[in-house]
Amino acid sequence: METKQVSAVLKSPAPHMVGDGFRVHNFFPGGYTINMSPFFLLDYGSKIQFSARRIPRGVGIHPHRGFETVTIAYHGAVAHHDSSGNSGVIYPGDVQWMTAAAGILHKEYHEENYSLRGGPFQMVQLWVNLPAKDKMGKPGYQAIKQQAMAFVNLPDNGGKIEIIAGNYKGQNGNAQTFTPIHLYNVRLNKQGKANFSFPANYNTGFMVIEGAVKINQKEIAPVDSFVHFKNQGEQIDVEALEDSIILVLSGEPIDEPVVQYGPFLMNTQEEINQALEDYNQGRFGYIEE
Amino acid sequence: MNDQFKNYLKEKIQITDEQFDSISGNLKIKKFDKNEIIQYTGDISKHGFFVCKGLLRAYSIDSKGKEHILQFAPENWLISDRNNMNNEASVFFIDAIEATEVVLMPNDFMEQAAIQVPCLQPMHTRLLNNSIRFMQKRINMLLSATAEERYLDFIKLYPNLTLRVPQWMIASYLGITPESLSRVRKELANKHFKPN
Repeated sequence: METKQVSAVLKSPAPHMVGDGFRVHNFFPGGYTINMSPFFLLDYGSKIQFSARRIPRGVGIHPHRGFETVTIAYHGAVAHHDSSGNSGVIYPGDVQWMTAAAGILHKEYHEENYSLRGGPFQMVQLWVNLPAKDKMGKPGYQAIKQQAMAFVNLPDNGGKIEIIAGNYKGQNGNAQTFTPIHLYNVRLNKQGKANFSFPANYNTGFMVIEGAVKINQKEIAPVDSFVHFKNQGEQIDVEALEDSIILVLSGEPIDEPVVQYGPFLMNTQEEINQALEDYNQGRFGYIEE
Repeated sequence: MNDQFKNYLKEKIQITDEQFDSISGNLKIKKFDKNEIIQYTGDISKHGFFVCKGLLRAYSIDSKGKEHILQFAPENWLISDRNNMNNEASVFFIDAIEATEVVLMPNDFMEQAAIQVPCLQPMHTRLLNNSIRFMQKRINMLLSATAEERYLDFIKLYPNLTLRVPQWMIASYLGITPESLSRVRKELANKHFKPN
């Protein structure tokens, strides 16, 4: 087994606001051009303080088609409602895996009590592409609570790995995925060590949420950076230089053409036009503001 | 010069790169920030705007302070206040809904360019015809069409604007209240949404 080498340690691009509730650094596809399929987009909301507010900040009703949104909370709380009738709150440590597939309308706001208090807010939103055969499938919703997540304790009090999707050392994550994906929250104590093995062709990256880590005994990745790996080798070693959290993403690429327009992610321009038409004609359903 | 405007012309008429260069010498590109007002009522502007990227709108504000949107101009649309052609003051504001890049088109651009490249003349006449046809239809819709008919016409004309502008602006363009627009969209969803 060969070492999977780091291709680059990338700094956070300048942030932008999504609605008035989410201040995000878009690492890809906007910030950097890197191979990360099946992950199409990574919006990283670095830690900031929101002041208290009676009317929660957020982003209003908008559609999605052709992919899944995966929201992972670290600080603060996000409330969600969608046109399939699903709703819920994502608290720190929790994950919401929403399959838009054929189409969904949803809105995402700071959870009421968090909004009334204000405080630190930090989260990640991923867009996970769907293969052509599943793009027009039934929408779905998986609420994955931290308490219910499968995990592996690391040796020597190194910390623990929470498995959101895929598997790690024989433990399977709860999330059902359409293509092979590994997604973990790795919580390391200072000097804690972990190692990973992913197929060479899997696109792989680490988002450093907290602390700082050393990768393959060489590259240092500080908080708020994204580590992108080459498509060679399998083995990755990590050592925490301080108490750290990293989000590990690895997945088999979906080798299909991609056309994105706004909140739609399809294979052809015709499918995008159809998505616009369907959205305008009310075929995504209706939810109240 | 910006390729977007050249490509726009090339889709409509046979024009060579050399001919385009001969008429585009005094065209300028300008960028506007999101929410920037680029023309006020009372201004006598020396040019109209061809949108390369982004989104502009023309609107008036009535005596009660309410905005009325006359036109949206996304990519490849032209927008101007025609009063300026007669050296009269604008009655519309124009502002940028998104960060926008435009070609500034001098008011006499088409006339001057058609001297150099004669096939621009029939194109210009066609554009004016289309513009009048669009206005006639718009007046007729505002006089006689239901809110749903107006909305269905709007999404045909501007299929992606429902993702780009807030509901109240669409309502303002359609001459209906935001509540009516919500009702129309809800009724369409009731008719067309099939949960699977």
